[in-house]
This record gives sequence, C-alpha cells and structure tokens, in this order.
Amino acid sequence: MNTAAWVTLLAPLASAVAITLTGNLLSRRQAGFLATGAALVAFGAAITAFVTMVGKDAEERIAQTTSWTWLSAGSFHVNLTLLTDQLSIMMMLIITGVGSLIVAYSVGYIDGDDEERRFFAYMSLFLFSMLLLVQGGDLLLLLAGWGMVGLSSYLLIGYHQHRAAAVAAAKKAFVMNAFGDAAMAMSLFLLVQHTGRLDYAGVFENAPGGGALATVIALGLLGGALAKSAQIPLHTWLPDAMEGPTPVSALIHAATMVTAGVYLIVRCHPLFENAKAVENLAAGLGAVTLVMAGLIALVQTDIKRVIAYSTMSQIGYMFVGAAAGSYVNGMFHLMTHAFFKALLFLAAGIIIHALHDEQDIRKMGGLGKKLPHTRTVFLIGSLALVGVPPFSGFFSKDAIIASTLDRGTFGLFLFGACLIGAFLTGVYTFRLYFIVFHGEQSAFAKEHLHEPHGRLEGPLSMVWPVTILGVLAAVGGLVQFAPVWHPLTRWLEPIAPSFAEATNTQEFIASAGTVALGLLGIYVAWTMFGAKTRPVPQPVAAFEAKFWWDELYDAIFYRPAVAASALLRRLVEVPLVFGSINELTRGFRIGSVELARVQNGLVRSYAFALTTGLAVLTVIFLVTK
Amino acid sequence: MNTWLTTFLIFLPMVGAALVWLTPFSKHMAGAVATLVALLEVALWVIAVERFNFATGDLQFEQQHAWFRDLGSSYHVGQFGFSLWLIGLTVIAGAAATAYAWWAGRERARAYFGLMLFLTGSVVGVFAAQDLLLFYAFFEAMLIPLYVLIGVWGGAGRLGATIKFVVYTVAGSLLMLAAIIVYGLQQNTFDLTQAMTSGNRWLFLGFAIAFAVKAPLFPFHGWLPDAYRESPPEVAALLSGVISKAAAYGFLRIAIAQFPEPAHHFRTLILALATIGLVYGSLLAFRAPDIRGVIAYSSLGQMGLITLGLFATNELGYDGAVLQMVNHGLISVSLFLLAGMVERRTATGEFALLGGMAKGRPALATVLMIVGMMALAVPLSSAFAGEFLILAGVFQHGWGWAAVGAIAIVLGAMYSLRLISAVLHREQGSAVSDAALDLRRAELAIIVPLILLLLVLSAWPDAITGHSFGHGGLVAGIQAAFQAVAK
Repeated sequence: MNTAAWVTLLAPLASAVAITLTGNLLSRRQAGFLATGAALVAFGAAITAFVTMVGKDAEERIAQTTSWTWLSAGSFHVNLTLLTDQLSIMMMLIITGVGSLIVAYSVGYIDGDDEERRFFAYMSLFLFSMLLLVQGGDLLLLLAGWGMVGLSSYLLIGYHQHRAAAVAAAKKAFVMNAFGDAAMAMSLFLLVQHTGRLDYAGVFENAPGGGALATVIALGLLGGALAKSAQIPLHTWLPDAMEGPTPVSALIHAATMVTAGVYLIVRCHPLFENAKAVENLAAGLGAVTLVMAGLIALVQTDIKRVIAYSTMSQIGYMFVGAAAGSYVNGMFHLMTHAFFKALLFLAAGIIIHALHDEQDIRKMGGLGKKLPHTRTVFLIGSLALVGVPPFSGFFSKDAIIASTLDRGTFGLFLFGACLIGAFLTGVYTFRLYFIVFHGEQSAFAKEHLHEPHGRLEGPLSMVWPVTILGVLAAVGGLVQFAPVWHPLTRWLEPIAPSFAEATNTQEFIASAGTVALGLLGIYVAWTMFGAKTRPVPQPVAAFEAKFWWDELYDAIFYRPAVAASALLRRLVEVPLVFGSINELTRGFRIGSVELARVQNGLVRSYAFALTTGLAVLTVIFLVTK
Repeated sequence: MNTWLTTFLIFLPMVGAALVWLTPFSKHMAGAVATLVALLEVALWVIAVERFNFATGDLQFEQQHAWFRDLGSSYHVGQFGFSLWLIGLTVIAGAAATAYAWWAGRERARAYFGLMLFLTGSVVGVFAAQDLLLFYAFFEAMLIPLYVLIGVWGGAGRLGATIKFVVYTVAGSLLMLAAIIVYGLQQNTFDLTQAMTSGNRWLFLGFAIAFAVKAPLFPFHGWLPDAYRESPPEVAALLSGVISKAAAYGFLRIAIAQFPEPAHHFRTLILALATIGLVYGSLLAFRAPDIRGVIAYSSLGQMGLITLGLFATNELGYDGAVLQMVNHGLISVSLFLLAGMVERRTATGEFALLGGMAKGRPALATVLMIVGMMALAVPLSSAFAGEFLILAGVFQHGWGWAAVGAIAIVLGAMYSLRLISAVLHREQGSAVSDAALDLRRAELAIIVPLILLLLVLSAWPDAITGHSFGHGGLVAGIQAAFQAVAK
C-alpha cells in the first residue's frame, strides 16, 4: 500500500519533469499522451492501494510511510511522510480518476496550440501538488501542497500568457491564495509553539482543547480554506480564473483544488471541534456564499462564469455539511460534485470548441439539434446539479440539507439558506441550459458552428471522457442513500465521525423541500427562457456588479499598497536615504577641502596635533583599563 | 590535511588572483584561468563537506599560529557547520559570477578577474576568521575590491554609487574597528573562542551598526539601490547574494554570541527595524520600475527577514536564518545574473520596455519562472522552509512579528509575480526584438547548476537546518547565555 502511495504521488511529478526536460524531443501529442499515461498510472496505483485497504480490518487501514527528515530545528522535526487512510484514499481516487479523464480530454481540446507541452507539464505538476496536499501526513506538507496547487493554478490560469486579462487573473488568484496561505501559516506557528510538532496525530493529541487559542488556530485554518475554496469573503479570484483553458477550469476550479477547503475541515476536524464558534462561522459563510453565488449566477452571460458561480455555491453546501458536523455528507457531495461539475465544464468546452472559442451565451441558442450528445450529457449534469432524483447530486446534497436539521436553531438558518440555494440552482442552471440548447439557432451559431468531426461532436479524446463522466454523474450518487444504505459513512467513520445525523423524517422533509424547490426553479427558468412565456426580469444591479467585492478589495488592499509604496518613496526613501547621503557626500567633499588646509606645513601646528592626539589616546587607554 | 583546509580555502583564490594579475594572460585566458581557479575552490569545498563532522557543534578544520602575541591576536581560522554552508555559498556564487564575467567579457580582464578572485578569498576569510583583528582585516579586504569593481566597471552612474558605498561602509567599519580594539583590550585577547561574553552595550552597538550598514538593514540602506543598479550584474550578484551574508554572519557570530546581554536588551529595537525593513523593502520592490530595483529592494526585505530569524534567538530562528541566508544567496545571484542576461538582449531593465519574452524562448521562460517562484518562497521550496522556520521562531516572541512577516510574504508574491509577468508575459515590449535569442548554452551552464542546487535544497532543506549547529558548541553556549540573561 505504501509503494502504491508513492507511485500515485510521484508518477505525475515524473511526467512534469520529463516533459520539461525533453523539450522539443517530445512531440506535442506525445507530451499529452505522457501526461495522460502518468495520470492513469497514478489512478491505477490509487486503486491498488484502495483494494488493499478494503481487504483489511477497519483498525489496520491507516498506513504511514516516511522517506526522510525534510526540515528540522532543535527538537522540531518535519518528516516527508505519506499518510494513506480512508480519507486520503478517497481524495486520491477522485483526483486521479477525474484527473486522468480531464487530462485525456485536454489532448483533443488543446490540440494545435503552440505550447501544448507546457500545458501538459503544468497539468502534471498540478496533479502532483494536489496529491501531495491530500497524501501528506503532516500539516506543513499540507501547507506545501496547498501552496503548490496555488502555483499550478497560477500557471494554468495564465497559460495564454500574451493575454493581459489571463495574466491579471492568474496573479489575482495567486495573491488572494497567498493571503489564505499566510493565515494558515499563522495557525501552524501557534501549533509549533504549543505542541512542538506538526504531524496530524501529534497535533490533534496535544493541541489546546478550547479557549481563545483553539479559536485562533481554527480561524487561521479557516482563512486558508476560504481562500482556496473561493468562499466569501475570499472568493473573487474564482470567476476570473475562468480565463484559463476549459479543462483547467474542470480539473482545478471545479473537481479538485477548490474543494481542498472541505478536505481541510474534515482532515483537521478535531481542531475545528475545539472551536465551535469557528465551525459555525464556516458553516455560516458557506450558507451566505451559496445564496450569494446563486444570485450572481442568475445574470452571468459567460457560460464558464455561470458554472464557476455554481461551483462556489455548491462548495458552500459542502462547507455547510462539513462545518455543521456532517463530514461524510460534505465529502460525499465533494465526490458527486467532482463528477457532475467536471462534466458540465467539459461539455461547455465542447460547445466553446465548436463555436471557435466563443463563450458568450447570448450568441448561442438552439445548439441542441447540432450537438445532441453534448446536450444529453449537459442535461444529465444539470439535473444532477439541481438535485433531481435519481441523479447523483440528489443523494449528496439532500443528505447535507437534512443534517442541518440536526443542529437546532442555527441549523434552521442553514436549512433556510440551503433551500433558497436549491431554488436558485434550478433557475440559473436551466436558464443556461435553455438559452444554450433550446429555441432557434442563433445567427452567430449558424455562421460559426464547426463541421462535426465525422459522426462525433468533437475529437474522440474529448467525447469519451465526457461520456464516462455523464455515466458517473447519473449513477455516482447511488453509493450511499442515507435512509437505506451507507457504506460511505462506515468507510469514513473511523477518521471523521460525524456529529450531526439526520433522522429519516428529517431526510424526508429535506428531500421533499429541496426537490420541490429545485423543480420550481427549473419551471421558472422554463417559463422565462425556454417557453419564453414570461419576460426576462430586469437584471438587479447588485447581482450584475457581483456585490462589489472586487471594488472593495481594490479599495482596501491594492490601492493602499500602491499608495503606501509611493508615499514611502516620496516621504522616506528619497529625502531620508538619498537626501541624507547626498548631503553626506557633499559634506565629505567640503570636509576634505577643509582638511587639506590642515596640511599647512607649520611644524608647530603638527606638534600641537600630535600631543593632543597622544593625550586623548592616553585618557581612553586609562579609562578602558 | 584537515588543519590546512580552511587556510587553503581562503588563500587558493588569493593565489589565483596574484597569478592572474602577474601573468600576461590574454583577455580570454584571464577569464578562463580565473574560472578554473574558482571551480577548483568549489571542489576544495566539496572535500571539506565530505570531511566535516556534523555531529558536533565545535569548531573544525581549525588552525592557529601566533601573530601578535602581546596583543593576544593570532592567525586563527576554522569552521562551524553554518560557516561551512556560508563558505559554500561564497565559493559557488563566486564561481558562477566569475564564469559569467568570462562569458560576457570584461575590459582590462586581468585586473577584473584578479579582483573577483581576491574578493572570493576575502569573503571566505570573513566566514572563517576566529580572531577579531583577522576578521576585520578580511572584512576590509572584501570591501576594497568592491569599490574598484563598482567604480571602474560599473554603469553610467558608477561614481555616485561608489562614493555612497564607500562613505557608508567606511563609517560602519570605523565603528567596528573602535569596538574591536576596546573589546580586545578589555578581554586581553582578540580570539573569539577565548574572549568572554561582554555586557557592554556600546560595543554591541558598534558591531551591530557596522553589520546593519553592510547587510543592509533599514534605515542604513542608502547605498543599496545605486550600488545594485550600477554594478556589473555579477558584482551586484555577489553584493546581494554573498557580501550581505557576511553581515548576517557577523550578527550571529559576534554581536549575538559575544554580547548576549546587549543583544537581549536591544532585541525589540532590532526586530522592529528588521520588520520595518521587510515590509518597506517589499513595498518598494512592488513598485520598482526595473528588474534590478525589484531585486535590490527585495534583498533589503530578505535581509530584514534573516535578521528577524537571528534575533528570534531560538533554534527555530537560527536554523531558519542560516537556511534562508543560503537560499537568498543562491536566488539573488541567479536573479542578478538573469537580469544581466535580459539586459544584454534588450539593453534595458525597464519594465515599461520589456514584456513577452517567453514566446519563443522556452529556456529563459522556464529558468526565470523557477527562480521567480523560489524568490516568492512558493511552498515546498527551500525558501518556504526557511521563512517558515524564521517566522515560527519569531512568533515565540509575539504573534505580531510573525503576522507582519506573513503579510510581507504576500507582498513578496506580488512583486515576484510582477517581475515575472513584466519580463516574460503580456505583449512584446518595445525593447524586445524577435532577434533576441533564447538563453545560450554557456548561460544555461552557469545558471542551471544554481537552480539545481535550489531544487535539491527544496527536496532536503534539512541538509542545512539539520547540519548547521550540531550538538553543543556555539548555539548551546548562546542559548545558555540567553537563559542566564533572561533570569
């Protein structure tokens, strides 16, 4: 199992290094195959580890393997340790499984680009980083992976590096995540100070069990989680990140990296459980995010941005689930979301590809007739997203909503937000679906729609991953149906025992409410955008302006930094440092002229200077002695 | 041979310098011989690493010969674990800089390469000297070649830059000399291993100001922007990568180790200056208009960070600071050499005229991207490890220091990304022509080994943190002294 864990981690790294070093020796297509192969090898190794783990008793499923001491100072040690347990193996399977599908899809999607090799090197680097994040057996390695996924995300968002918008979006994503990293680092410093170690077991055992200290530690971790998972208030980078190529959005900004915050909460649940206030804050922010993102998604006109806001909203659900104490359901939704959201992005990629890189939905319309297969999978993804039974989203999302009912009054607030979110999801998802696929074909689509590739709607490498994801999005939720069977709960129980469990009645109330509201949302979307029986309402300024978050950050951070820099230069650097030194050099020159006068050739003045000097030296000598 | 190793390390480059000065080599030969000597020096250092006993914290490869017996001064050299790493940084950076100068070609080559070798030898001497007068001699010997290298081979504003540099450093050196003399007379010996610790705050300040100027620390950095901008790139590389570390080393070896009580007394002041420098340097780097401006001000910030680690006065801080000295040295040398390579192609370092260089130049893009990522301390890099230890160390004196440090790290991300994208990305700049070539093989041969070292350190930062102080020895003594002071 340990060997398999190392293979999983290192196969993508090997691919990234190989593609970088071989340069032009590898053809572009070969680079794509290499990256796909490496991802598949990692997936195979993860399955091997999983099968081994299933064969063992629940108590023996945790395995650790250490290679060498990475860092040490005095008694503080950080080892390069991989932890393979029920939680990390689940993440490994999702990352490598969905990851290999998306990398394979990219072979067709990115085909013909000048710098394909760079793209595949970055994708492999990302897989390595993400795996490090979930496999590391130590909080510092978690932070390392945390930053490395930020780096690969930066590289991939800015992949089209001549486009100013892409470069700016990449920088924004990195800097915003650097804030999260800094917050996390602060809680690690606290843990080092109070426990002297950073390995999970040691930290959980020795961390302060409550009080202000525990609260601050949990707050720092939450800061990192909010930034990485694009939750309010650190969310504004995610919509801009859609500047990256579509497979990147599917892999990093939907299926894996952005859900890392949920993984963090589940992994470090003992630390969060020590700080109830922070846990509630996390759940509350998740609830606010899921509603706010749903509102903004209503008015977006870029196909990828609609899906991006929906991602924010769905991660909000996961936060509600995990932070309200239902870890299993949070992880469950993370998994089904990876299937259906990757599916939606990849299907959107086929549309964008077919329309010569057009992403504006106002130019689309009536694409269903030309792209029937894409329409089908997109519909599956949409139904799963809304949570219509029996598609996957239904099982996981309803379980989260039901579990909020187990959390008293605060739970009712969460429950209400989740229901509003369910309605909004129905509206914005099917607004997108109807606008893109229904009605008359738009003039733009008529003019620009690609000729199909043979009988397929895109290259083979793009069509089959989408098909597989379509199947997973349809049936993936059957893994667990809380009232009847719950293998996932049993699997994760030893790592993260949930403390919010819904009764069957609560499950029923939640399901009925969610499904009804979701269907109502679809109906509203149908009357406005499908059947066009209702006029489309005037857009709300606040939604259009995305609630002014960007303007807020511009005003409170970027501009002050620029102003402070300019001010320091003008008020401190120039006068104090340059001014004084210029004065000094001038004084030096004048002084040397003055000093030259001392050399007047008169023996009496030399003798005077000599005796004075001797006297001063004698005094100094006597004093110090 | 072990007893002679340190002496060999000091004097091999100096003998090389004499050879280059005195033999009528052609321009090309002078560079070739100097590079060869610099590489031999690296090989000698590798032998030293192999023979070093990392388990103990005691002085090794020690050699002592009587000099001024009456004064209590002797030729006494040797190495601790951390001096070994700093000497390693010096000889490797020296080799890279010499090789780059050879490739780029410099006028009056014999004088130039002689000075470069002499400089390398002097810095090694600074890190190895265990006698204060000897330390002072090497410290001054290190400055003289720098004055000449900047003043003669610098850019258009070299004269002003040199004068500022001279005025600042001479002022600092005189203070240090006075402090050395008084301290030596008080102790009846100039030998660092025999002198007792002292509680004299004025003496501490004499040393501390000299090192603060040399590092530089805010607000003693008036010489820095001009010196870094006007020097030839490889000299700027040594200045920021290596010479600044001599100051940080001085803080650790002399100011803290010999003056624990004053170090404890002034700790808050120095931590404050270091923190201000860190934020101030990072903010100015974020708006600097050219490549060298960014590197110069970021160096100011990084020296603040290293000083934070040293004056955290705990094991986390010391180990982090030593690691970060090596990291910043390698990163800064690589960045300045890369700046030189970009400037050769575009004749400017102004961001307004640059841009789009990644297209068609994959080697330059990859190399600059990797070094830039190291510079912003991307997690899992050795710089990340160093920053983490330093901030974790200083955190123990109050969360505020670490919080401000963490914010400065965000600023670090902002200025590094700005540098990368302004050179490599966006539309092609007006100074960038299509004819500007990708990195040549010779340039890659110089820069890639530096990057490989950084990558190896990233995979195993414990190579330094676990092998700098050993058991007992210097740091154990410092810790004991500090505990005594705290009581």
